[in-house]
Amino acid sequence: MEMLRTENITMQFGGLTAVKDFNLKLNKGEIVALIGPNGAGKTTAFNMITGVYKPTKGKIYYKGRDITQMAPHSITKLGIARTFQNIRLFKNLSVIDNVLIANHLHVKSNLFEALLRVPKYKNEDRSMMKKSMELLEIVGLIDVKDEKSSSLPYGMQRRLEIARALATKPEVLLLDEPAAGMNPKETEDLTKFIKKIRDDFDLTIFMIEHHMQVVMGISERIYVFDYGITIAHGNPNEIQNNQRVIEAYLGVDDNA
Amino acid sequence: MMKRDYYLTSISLVLLVIFLYFADMYMDAYIIRILNLCAIYTILGLSMNLINGFTGLFSLGHAGFMAIGAYTTAILTLSVDAKVQNFFLEPIAAPLANVVWPFFPALLLAGILSALVGFLIGAPALRLKGDYLAIATLGFAEIIRVVFTNTQNITNGALGLKRIPPYTNLWWSFGIAVFTVIFMALLINSSYGRAFKAIREDEIAAESMGINLFKHKVMSFTIGAFFAGVGGGLLGNLLGTIDPAMFRFTLTFNILLIIVLGGMGSITGTVISAFVVTISLEALRFLDQPIDLGLFVIPGIAGMRMVVFSVLLMLVVLFYRHGLMGTNEFSWDKFLKVLRFKRPLLKGGKN
Repeated sequence: MEMLRTENITMQFGGLTAVKDFNLKLNKGEIVALIGPNGAGKTTAFNMITGVYKPTKGKIYYKGRDITQMAPHSITKLGIARTFQNIRLFKNLSVIDNVLIANHLHVKSNLFEALLRVPKYKNEDRSMMKKSMELLEIVGLIDVKDEKSSSLPYGMQRRLEIARALATKPEVLLLDEPAAGMNPKETEDLTKFIKKIRDDFDLTIFMIEHHMQVVMGISERIYVFDYGITIAHGNPNEIQNNQRVIEAYLGVDDNA
Repeated sequence: MMKRDYYLTSISLVLLVIFLYFADMYMDAYIIRILNLCAIYTILGLSMNLINGFTGLFSLGHAGFMAIGAYTTAILTLSVDAKVQNFFLEPIAAPLANVVWPFFPALLLAGILSALVGFLIGAPALRLKGDYLAIATLGFAEIIRVVFTNTQNITNGALGLKRIPPYTNLWWSFGIAVFTVIFMALLINSSYGRAFKAIREDEIAAESMGINLFKHKVMSFTIGAFFAGVGGGLLGNLLGTIDPAMFRFTLTFNILLIIVLGGMGSITGTVISAFVVTISLEALRFLDQPIDLGLFVIPGIAGMRMVVFSVLLMLVVLFYRHGLMGTNEFSWDKFLKVLRFKRPLLKGGKN
């Protein structure tokens, strides 16, 4: 089943074309990676899908529904969650609060019901507390739930970001460089972790990643960007042997 | 342990009531006036802290909301004959001439009108961020002041309003202050309060977590405006006289001072700071008089005491940026720990 599809999405900043005619297709349950050299426009593509940027051209469909012009919070509500390349936690808030905040979009009680603590709100509050604790249990952060999120070590912050994204109950999860700055051991754990959450939460995962070990290890398909253009698309094997990809990463030998 | 906190809170409230009862009976008018001001500044500080401290919106329009509240309450509670006396240049607009409301509905309407204006201003202005929002809201407050100076047959213009019935007493001011504290505590600890804090921490992340930025910003701004209006109403009926010049930026600055000193994003800090600042403002009045330093004499300069606060504010911003409480709150646990001189709890270290 098709979850997410983009049709020729293009993003121009003045005269610069950051992404040109990107056609993405994500099927349910897939893990797909987006790779490319620095500045190739990968995060821009993420920002278009999540509504942070409105594409200059092209359409984005989520489960067949046009979401191109929707606001980021509405897109999250539909079921697309993301993490950030340079971790964006709510720094001064506790770990548990970070996850609880991601539950807020599903709160049905209005402001007055919340203020008066009516049973409807209390039930919602209790169930979101329970779910958040479960999530922290899964990502292994339950012991630090009351710590300030900025005081956590780097790897834990990454996991908290994923937990927070999962709390919005997504069907499609976009991970922006989840392995950035991790050591080989952490990277290996992360690879397993991504697979595990895909299965446990029934997710479709689209990720930007530089660690080839992670990319080749878990992704079923890979898109390759260079200067905003999709230069290759295929399974890990095809990508590894693709001449244009090798050139993009290693450069071209002029004497050849 | 929850039960213990419940009892302790109830006991404190009873003690407050007893204190107010005796204060009301035996203390002189000057001290009662200061206590009233403390409570009113608590309300104003909390309302501004909701917007600036908890939601992270840099708004400087508080004097405008207070003006709306103060004028609404004043006009609604002025007696018919006081209205005739006040509006001698131009008679008051016909529909208002014979309206005399009791204090509570007048205050409520003051809050509602102020909230309504907050909503109308907020809807366009909250699309701005940071300094731009500060400038827009500052401009709004000035506009309100200028409008009130020129609506002769509604606000009596620059002449201001006199003989406003002195309805504000300790019961009203402290009653509403306690209500505001409880309201804010319930709000901040609800899911909506967490959403406000998320917006303060990181707008982009908050939006990605599905929080409707605009809706929550307007919500916070409107609630803040409501309490600012109520606080303004209480202030007007305490002082007995209001005029547009009262609602200059200095007034907003005083409240900003309170929340910065107390800690942006702390209810406890705001309450403590409101009392400390208000009482100090009175206690430091001697600075406005001539001071003989032995070697030379400082002539009496009106506003000299504000210098102390300006220096204090600078020191806080430079060396103690989080203010008195930061984003921490009072809890009986911490309080009892301090009382026991940090001896460990006898049993159950947890809560």
